[in-house]
Amino acid sequence: MDIAVKRNMTGRMTGFVRELNAVLTIVARGITLTFKSPASLIMSLVMPVVMMYMIGGNLQQNMAGGLGFDFGQYMLVGMLVNMLFTMTSQGLSSLVEDRETDFTQEMLIAPVSRYSIVIGTILGSAFLAIFSCVGTLIVSLFMGIRMDAGQLLAVLGLSPLMCLAAGAFGMLLLGAVKNRKAANMAIMIIPMAQMFLSGAIIPITNSSGVLLVLSRLMPMTYCLDLVRAVVYAGTPEYGAVVLFNPAVTLAAIIGLTAVFLAVGTFLVARSEKNR
Amino acid sequence: MNAILEVRELVKRYNKARSNAVDGVSFSVSEGEFFAFLGPNGAGKTTTISILTTTLAPTSGEVKIAGCDVIRQAKEVRDKVGIIFQQPSLDPQLSAEENIRFHACLYGVYGYRPTFRMMPKAYRERVMELAELVGIADAMFKPIKKLSGGMQRKLEIIRSLIHTPKILFLDEPTTGLDAVSRRGLWEYINQSRRENGTTVFLTTHYIDEAESVDKVCIINHGKLAACCSPGELKRTLEYDPAPKVCLPTLEQAYIEYLSKTERGAA
Ligand SMILES: Nc1ncnc2c1ncn2[C@@H]1O[C@H](COP(=O)(O)OP(=O)(O)OP(=O)(O)O)[C@@H](O)[C@H]1O
Ligand SMILES: [Mg+2]
Repeated sequence: MDIAVKRNMTGRMTGFVRELNAVLTIVARGITLTFKSPASLIMSLVMPVVMMYMIGGNLQQNMAGGLGFDFGQYMLVGMLVNMLFTMTSQGLSSLVEDRETDFTQEMLIAPVSRYSIVIGTILGSAFLAIFSCVGTLIVSLFMGIRMDAGQLLAVLGLSPLMCLAAGAFGMLLLGAVKNRKAANMAIMIIPMAQMFLSGAIIPITNSSGVLLVLSRLMPMTYCLDLVRAVVYAGTPEYGAVVLFNPAVTLAAIIGLTAVFLAVGTFLVARSEKNR
Repeated sequence: MNAILEVRELVKRYNKARSNAVDGVSFSVSEGEFFAFLGPNGAGKTTTISILTTTLAPTSGEVKIAGCDVIRQAKEVRDKVGIIFQQPSLDPQLSAEENIRFHACLYGVYGYRPTFRMMPKAYRERVMELAELVGIADAMFKPIKKLSGGMQRKLEIIRSLIHTPKILFLDEPTTGLDAVSRRGLWEYINQSRRENGTTVFLTTHYIDEAESVDKVCIINHGKLAACCSPGELKRTLEYDPAPKVCLPTLEQAYIEYLSKTERGAA
């Protein structure tokens, strides 16, 4: 890729090229950090064994009768999206952790848009999520769950949007919760609750009452539904698996992601400046 | 000469604080000037610098850097300043060189490449030259955790100058450095001043470092106590409180001035 780099009088990049380079730099830092921390790499590979094999496998063997669709495949898609969501939002808390070494200061002082910093951090922490997805796919192979190449590509194609959606939601939490410790805790616990509420492993077709309301409040519910709509397109199970109209879901995800990102970034930047 | 930095009636009161940390401060710094901002612990130096470099919002007042307003044109301002924070701000998980590369790319000086070798020649030469100059060439590829405190400080100084800022803020840059390193560091900063005309805004508790500055402002309890050249500051104290045989050093003048104003205020 060769871009004619626009530079200003001081020989530095300007405008969009500079922002793009900044995002790339921050993403690259995220990837570098991933490789430098073997512990988190190992965890990202062990997680799928616990989630997919132990929780999912047990549900499949003991409780998945009479659903009207193949539970294994249903759960695999759910787990993949769940991994993208959990890992990305956990990685985002690095923005908070960096504060301890004042590295966030160093990033915030750079002459680039706050959005570039946030998007770079989100995509950088999404890198670890890819490992978890690969791990999940490997475990699912051992469990005899199959997905064809087209379906896999569909999940892959949607994954950047899933990561951004997760990151935007995480940013909103970081911005809304004033206390840093509490914000960090929220960012750990909410994805966990989301996993159960949004239908990642347990179908929510028959949810009612509080659980129904909560499920509709979780952004991951819509992300999951969109991915399933694409994966199950044209299959007889579609009606039993997919809850909403995919076009509406897609629009809603894009809209909410943009709003969450804008509000979250604004709030975080403001609380950073107004001490 | 053109003022590169103008501060007018700057006030900062931290959330839930009972008094102003910075209390109606006004001064200006000319382009290319070497400026010292001195004051005792808790005087409001770091607070002022944080506002000037856009990381902290002022309560009231106006600040302009190279004609840009720090609130409304924060990005333009950030483009023109370099800073060494009082608190170390390196990424401890990256290597020394990666920290520099990250900074240079974030500022749009170079396009990002995943390894040092793949970076443009100009970058590689510049980094190694600077590392040589401050004497940390051997440590450039070590993780930050394995660098001593002084070495980390030197690295931050290289980092702050790699994008050739118009104005460089140094918040106690030499704390923890040995005498030789301090000397080397000042040579490097002076070199950058000569070559690029960088304006330097210094706070320090080693008053001798400010001996050769063009202008010194003393801040105490958030208020400016004096703003003049070091020579003028010394001369105001020549016969006061007691006649002296020769002019005092800046450090003596500074301490006397502070104690005098402190007594006057009480
Ligand atoms: N984040 C904060 N919240 C509340 N008060 C603060 C905060 N940071 C500093 N202060 C207060 O503001 C005043 C000025 O602090 P500042 O850090 O600007 O001093 P300083 O001149 O840099 O001192 P030093 O030489 O010790 O670095 C002090 O009274 C300090 O207690
Ligand atoms: Mg300070």
